Amino acid sequence: MKKFMILLLIVFMAPYAYSADQALAEKAKAEGKVSFYANITAIQPIMQEFTKNKGVKGEYTRISTSKFLATVLTEHQAGKLLADVLQAPLPIMEFLKNKGVLASYQSPSAAGYPDWTKKDDKIQIFGIEYVALIYNKELVKPEDVPKRYEDLIDPKWLGKIVMANPSSHATTISWLIGLKENVFTSEETWMKFVKGLAANKPMFVRSFGPTPAPVESGEKLIAISMPKYIITKAPAPLDWARVEQPLLGTPRGIAVTAAAKHPNAAKLFVDYWLSRDAMQMLADKVGEYVLRPGVYPPIDGMDKAKVLPIRSLSDDEIRSWGGEFKKIFDMP
Amino acid sequence: MNRTMLNTKTALTPSLIVIVGFLTVCPVFMLVFGSFSEGLGAFGSFTLEKYIRSYTDPAFAGIIINTVIFTIGSAFVATVLALFLAYLNTRTNIPFKFLFRIISIIPMMIPHILFSVSWVLLLNPSNGMINLFLREILSLQGSPFNIYTLPGMILVEGLLDMPIAYLILAPAMAAFDVSFEESSKVCGASNLRTLTKVTLPVLRPAILASFILVIVRSLASFAVPSIIGMPGRIYVLATHIYQIIATGFAADYGMAAAVGMSALAASITLIYLYRYLTSESEKYVTISSRGYRPSLIDLKKAKYPLFGIVGILSFVLIVLPVVVLFYTSLVPYSMVPGAKAFSMMSWKNWVEVLRDPISLLSLKNSVFLGIVGASLGVILSIFVSYVIVKVRTRASGVLESLSFLSFSFPGIVVGVGFMWFFVQTPLYATIWSLLIGYIATYLPYGIRPLSSAFVQIHSHLEESSRVCGGGTLYTLRRIIIPLLIPGVVSGWILMATMFVRELTLSVVLSRPGTEVLAVQIFHFAEDGLWGKLSALGIMMIFISTTLVVIASLIGAKLTKVENG
Repeated sequence: MKKFMILLLIVFMAPYAYSADQALAEKAKAEGKVSFYANITAIQPIMQEFTKNKGVKGEYTRISTSKFLATVLTEHQAGKLLADVLQAPLPIMEFLKNKGVLASYQSPSAAGYPDWTKKDDKIQIFGIEYVALIYNKELVKPEDVPKRYEDLIDPKWLGKIVMANPSSHATTISWLIGLKENVFTSEETWMKFVKGLAANKPMFVRSFGPTPAPVESGEKLIAISMPKYIITKAPAPLDWARVEQPLLGTPRGIAVTAAAKHPNAAKLFVDYWLSRDAMQMLADKVGEYVLRPGVYPPIDGMDKAKVLPIRSLSDDEIRSWGGEFKKIFDMP
Repeated sequence: MNRTMLNTKTALTPSLIVIVGFLTVCPVFMLVFGSFSEGLGAFGSFTLEKYIRSYTDPAFAGIIINTVIFTIGSAFVATVLALFLAYLNTRTNIPFKFLFRIISIIPMMIPHILFSVSWVLLLNPSNGMINLFLREILSLQGSPFNIYTLPGMILVEGLLDMPIAYLILAPAMAAFDVSFEESSKVCGASNLRTLTKVTLPVLRPAILASFILVIVRSLASFAVPSIIGMPGRIYVLATHIYQIIATGFAADYGMAAAVGMSALAASITLIYLYRYLTSESEKYVTISSRGYRPSLIDLKKAKYPLFGIVGILSFVLIVLPVVVLFYTSLVPYSMVPGAKAFSMMSWKNWVEVLRDPISLLSLKNSVFLGIVGASLGVILSIFVSYVIVKVRTRASGVLESLSFLSFSFPGIVVGVGFMWFFVQTPLYATIWSLLIGYIATYLPYGIRPLSSAFVQIHSHLEESSRVCGGGTLYTLRRIIIPLLIPGVVSGWILMATMFVRELTLSVVLSRPGTEVLAVQIFHFAEDGLWGKLSALGIMMIFISTTLVVIASLIGAKLTKVENG
């Protein structure tokens, strides 16, 4: 009986839901375009599909993570925020929320997402910027591939590791802290790992972007980097170490801006972004780890991996850990 | 001197101060505000905390020492190389002179990120190609070279900045009054002695100008310190500032600006030092009303050995990076050359770039900014250099320092300064904000070559014109500008090639519709897509080359017309 009632309700309500969707699409069309600020690789196909399917022009502005807050806040404070939709790592989105930049919007497309991805009514988390050990599969023998994070402190990796600078790169700092809180059983074992990593004298680059190239060319053998490069840099001989422990990453969020000039187009865009189609494209073309259930990047073994979000660290925390790592990794 | 003359002159200086001041002071003011404000924006409640925090950092002293070594070293490498090339080219009978112009300009057009990356591929201690080669033939255990060191940074930065030095020195050398050298030789001095006792001292203003400009430029440079310095754990001011911005998600540009103020102070001091050292400008005037035609020195036996050195230089500066670039654009990922790499080569990266609408739009925008920006920039520079060199009042000193203001700020910071400024105006997010920002920041590229050309024009020439009834504009047009053409061409080339590959401002100011080449290249670099990056980089070099060839041809034609 209960089931029947629900069915009846669905049949009864469907036209209303449909017309609500329809109304949003119409208003969005009237607004003509939507401006989207993010720092994410190769999402032009998603923007094109959106433009084609919805008849609303999707305009993508790519802003580096280090300039994201500065740009958005500058525009916001001058009353000239050009973005209708923002997408960034969760700590940045939370900062913007606290500054009143974001509007409330709960997208119907978010229905299937895990509960932890919609902790508030403004930011919807849709993916995790996951980090893994990426190695050169032509130069590292299968038996040498790390099976646990701790294997990275084996002296055989001396001078063969590349990573983003742990005294300044926020995502790498958060990852190290994430290991402490989610993976290692005690502070001592974690510290042993960090010191062992430092003793292997990794080469530091400024962010994740330059980490895969030295591994591809064989200058280094293994990187603390992102599995998505296996997709974007194919056919480079890159693979990820399938460690027994979970993978970690910073959550990515999306939200509509409070001052959006195209508020309906913005909502329509967020709906589309969270849909299975768009998320599938993001996983397939860019290798992103998305939180839409059942959608995985086409990286061998990734559908079985456990990927956990790292909690948002405050900037003070990041700076103070950055200072610690500076000492441990013996930087001037 | 008649009265109208005086009036135009007195009106010229203040109006230029207003124009240049507006262009350069606004963003710097915003940065000054930001450095004293709490929070992340340009306006907040007053605080000194950012200064206290940044200047009491225990690592700061070491960073300053590295920065001093890095900038002076680069200036030395760039100026000595440029002097050598400019001298051989303008004053001797060395063969294949066309090579010189090419060598001197190519590094201007190669995106600095790429140039640095090619050197890493050649000289990294793990598998750098030159190191692998030397290890093989000398059967060494370790690698003889390590690029990730201060000398490595100085080498690459020096090579990259050499064109700036060359384009300042070459016009000065070309405009040299040969009678000095002749007198020296008549008195029995050898060529070498004439060079060290007469030629170099007379060129002192140009040499100093080049030295100072390279110091200021390398102070703001980011590519070499980040790609070569960071992996070697060597930090200079620019990378230190980057660390401040990059640590944490809420980048504090105000604090970065507070650190940047020391770069600004250093640059302004250098400019005043330069003015002081060249204050007796009359001493260096080399073109007077007498006929001028630099004579050529016969190198005799030294001809081919010297040419050999030039050959090696051109190989290192042009062939090597361009070949590495071309190679990278054909292989699917970063790989050491070999049979496997050759079997995997294809035009895929090229095809993808040419099909990408944003890359194409960015090509168009960059060409526009290069041509229009450089032309407007040079016109402004002619007036400014005239005042700086010929009027030489206290106000003209102010003007000279103003022209360096945004130039001497580390790029990542000044970009934000411009954003803070432009967002208050209707120009925000338009191509005009890029155009104005470029001209304001790179004004010294126009002013330096033009002032070193102005320095060499004797006021007798102007006075003769005035005696014959020519007004200021007439004198400028008929007497001064023709003599300035080498300087104009140099300035235009420096500006146009800079604007075509400008990154630091563009990355902050470009928006959909106003994408430019360097930003597109930067995004490829952020994603590690070196192949596409190289393909677009080569297109960029091609565009710059075309602009340089056109400018040089026009310059050559005009000089010929004026002389004939």
